[in-house]
Amino acid sequence: MSYKFEEQSKSARNAILAKLKAQVAGADYEKLPEEPTFEYAKQSREQLLENFVSLLKSNHAEVLPIKEEEIGAVVVKQLQKRKIDSLLYNPNAQYANALASSFGASSTELTLLPFDFNVNENKLNYFNDIPASITSSRWAIAETGTIVLWPTPDEPRTMSLVPPVHFVIADADTLHSNFASLVEQQNWKAQMPTNVLLISGPSKTADIQQTLAFGAHGPKELIVLLLNSQ
Amino acid sequence: MSVNQYVPDNKESKYADSARAFRQNVAKDLADEQLRSNFHGAMNYLMDKRKASFPSSDELETLRQQCKLIKQRALVKLPLLLEQLENKLHENGIQVHWAETINDANEIIAQIIESKNGKNIVKGKSMVSEETALNDYLQARNMEILESDMGEYIVQLAKEHPSHIIMPAIHQNKKQVADLFAEHVKGFEYTTDVDTLIGEGRRILRDKFSRADVGITGVNFAVAETGTICLVENEGNGQMSSAVPDLHIAITGIEKVVEFLEDIPPLLSLLTRSATGQAITTYFNMITKPRKSDEKDGPEEVHLVLLDNGRSQAFADEELRQTLQCIRCGACMNHCPVYTRIGGHAYGTVYPGPIGKIISPHQLGIEATKDLPTASSLCGACGEVCPVKIPIPQILQRLRVESVKKPTGSPKELKGTGANRKTTEALTWQVWSFIHRHPNIYAVSMWFATRLRALVPNKLGAWTRVRSAPKPAAKTLHERIKLRTEEAS
Repeated sequence: MSYKFEEQSKSARNAILAKLKAQVAGADYEKLPEEPTFEYAKQSREQLLENFVSLLKSNHAEVLPIKEEEIGAVVVKQLQKRKIDSLLYNPNAQYANALASSFGASSTELTLLPFDFNVNENKLNYFNDIPASITSSRWAIAETGTIVLWPTPDEPRTMSLVPPVHFVIADADTLHSNFASLVEQQNWKAQMPTNVLLISGPSKTADIQQTLAFGAHGPKELIVLLLNSQ
Repeated sequence: MSVNQYVPDNKESKYADSARAFRQNVAKDLADEQLRSNFHGAMNYLMDKRKASFPSSDELETLRQQCKLIKQRALVKLPLLLEQLENKLHENGIQVHWAETINDANEIIAQIIESKNGKNIVKGKSMVSEETALNDYLQARNMEILESDMGEYIVQLAKEHPSHIIMPAIHQNKKQVADLFAEHVKGFEYTTDVDTLIGEGRRILRDKFSRADVGITGVNFAVAETGTICLVENEGNGQMSSAVPDLHIAITGIEKVVEFLEDIPPLLSLLTRSATGQAITTYFNMITKPRKSDEKDGPEEVHLVLLDNGRSQAFADEELRQTLQCIRCGACMNHCPVYTRIGGHAYGTVYPGPIGKIISPHQLGIEATKDLPTASSLCGACGEVCPVKIPIPQILQRLRVESVKKPTGSPKELKGTGANRKTTEALTWQVWSFIHRHPNIYAVSMWFATRLRALVPNKLGAWTRVRSAPKPAAKTLHERIKLRTEEAS
C-alpha cells in the first residue's frame, strides 16, 4: 500500500514530535507534583445497591431484581407485555437453556434468535427485523448507575446497541463502588479487549431545546435483570 | 517524492474570514431576540445541571486539582506519550496518521476512504473534524458525508456549523427544528413534539447507519498505556459510527492523549458533570482493537488521525500550553456572560466562548482573531468553572498583550503577533508611560490638562460611539488635597 499520505504523515510526525520534544527537553519526570485523590466515604453493600438502582431508574432504565432461576420467565413476561415476538441471544450463555425452556413453555409464540450471523452481511435485517436482545454484563458501578459490557465473539458489541429493546443481566455481586476502583482492582490495563462499553441507560438526547428524548439511535428501552440483590 | 520535500498544505481555514467578521457578527446576533432567548434558556439550564451534580465542593476542588495535574503530566510527557500511543495502537492493529494542517488531515482521510472505495460516510460528533472542515473537503471529492449526532444532523440540514461544542443545535428551538424538518425531510408531518422529531431523526439515521461503509468519529481521550480510544456520548451514534461500518476513522488533536488507563475515571467524571451535569453519559465506549477474525461485528480497519493545527505553537509557551489541558466540556461557555448574549456563531470560530478565544489564535493566527480576546469583561467565571483549571482570564490578557506587541520576527513569536497594534495607540501609551515616570513633567502636563480641559474634543473614536466624552476636572486631585489641607490648618 503506497499512498501519498504515508509520506505526508511520516513527515508531519517527525516535524510535530521534533517541535514538541524541543520544548520539554530535560524535563524531570521524577519531580512532577503529587496528584491528590478524593477519598469517598465507604458505603455498605445496601447503600451501593440502592444508589446503583436509583441512578439507573432516574436514567429511565427499568430495573427488575430477580433470582437466577426466574430469568426465562421474567424475560417472557416482559416480551409479552411489549408484544415482542423474538429475542436475539447468545446460545452459549449460561442462561441460554433457561431461556429456551421458558420460550418453549410460553403461551404466545416466541422465537429465540441466536447471534450466529456476521453483521457485515446482514445489516438491513439486523437493523430492521430484530426487536430485542439479551446480553450478560461483567461488572456494575454504583456511583454512576453503570453496567459494564465486555463484548465477546458470542456476545458482539452491537448486540446492546442495534435492537430497540435491550435486556441486560447484571449481578449485584459484581458491583463496584466507582469506575476508578473497578479499573484498578480488576487490572483492566492488562486485558483490554477489542471494545468495552459502559452503559447507564437507554439511548437518549437533549439536542432539541434541552428536551430529553429516549431512543435517539440505540435502544429505546434498557431492562436490567438484577441478580443477587435481595 | 522524498519525505523531506513534503510541504504541509497551509491553505487558510474558512473560519479565519468568519472570525475577522466578529464585530459585525456580534451586532447582528445581539439584535436577534429569538437567538438570545434560546441561548439564555439553555445556559441557565446547563448551569443549574452542573451545579446540582457537584454537591460537595471538597470533592469538586480535589477532582479539579487532580485532573489539572493529570493533564499537565500528559502535556509535559506529550511527545513520549504520542510515541507510546502510536506503538500501542500499532500493536493493537490500529493505524496511526499524523497531520500538521487541517487540509493534510482531510487529505489523509479522503485517501483512506478512497483506498477502501468508501461511498456512504456517517460521522459521529467530532469538533476536530469541524476544525478541518472535513465535510466540505469530502463533498468536494464527491463523497456523501452525513452527520449523525442529532444536534449535528440538524445543524447540517440548516447548512450551519455548531454553536456549542456539546449541544451543537442549541441556538435553535423546537419550532425552528420542525421547520427545518418540514423543508428537508420527505413525508414529515409537521409537529413540534420533540419525541416525534427525534423519532424522525432516528428513522432516517438508522437507515443510513445500516448502509454506511465508513464511520468517522472524534476522540474524547486516547490512552497511551493501552492504545485505547475513548468516546463519551448519550445517543449511541458514536457507537453506531465506530462499530457498524467496515472502516472506522477517528480524528483527534494531539493534546487528547493521557498516560494511564487509571487517569480516565476522574477525567470522565469531571467531563460529564461539568458539561451536562450527568454523573456519567449513557455510553462510554473504549475501543482498543479492530474486529478480530472470530468476532461478528466491528470495523475491519481502524485509523487514528492525529492533528497538530497550531497546538504545537500553544505548547511552545508554558503559559499558553495550559490551553491544551482542555477536555472540551463547554462549561466555560455555559457560564460566560458574553457567550450567553451573543451566542456561539458570532465568534466565527469552530470553538466559541472563552475556550474558543484562547484556542483559535493558535489555529487561525492572531490577525484573524484579534478581536476575540477583547470581547471579555474578565469576570473570571470561565476560570472558576474550568474542570482542569485553565486560567482563561489570565490567558485572555496575555493574548491581548501579544496582539498589540511590536513583532520582532522571532521564530518563537505567535503567528500574527502585533496584529492589533495601532501606531497612535502605541504612541499614546509610550507618552503616558514617559510622563508617569517623570514627576516634573507629570505636574506640568496635569496643569495643562486641567486648564485646557475645554479643548478636549467631543468625539473620541469608538469611546464616544456609545458614551459621552470624558472631561478632565478643573483641578487635579493633588491640587484639591493641597487646598483642603491648607483650609484645615
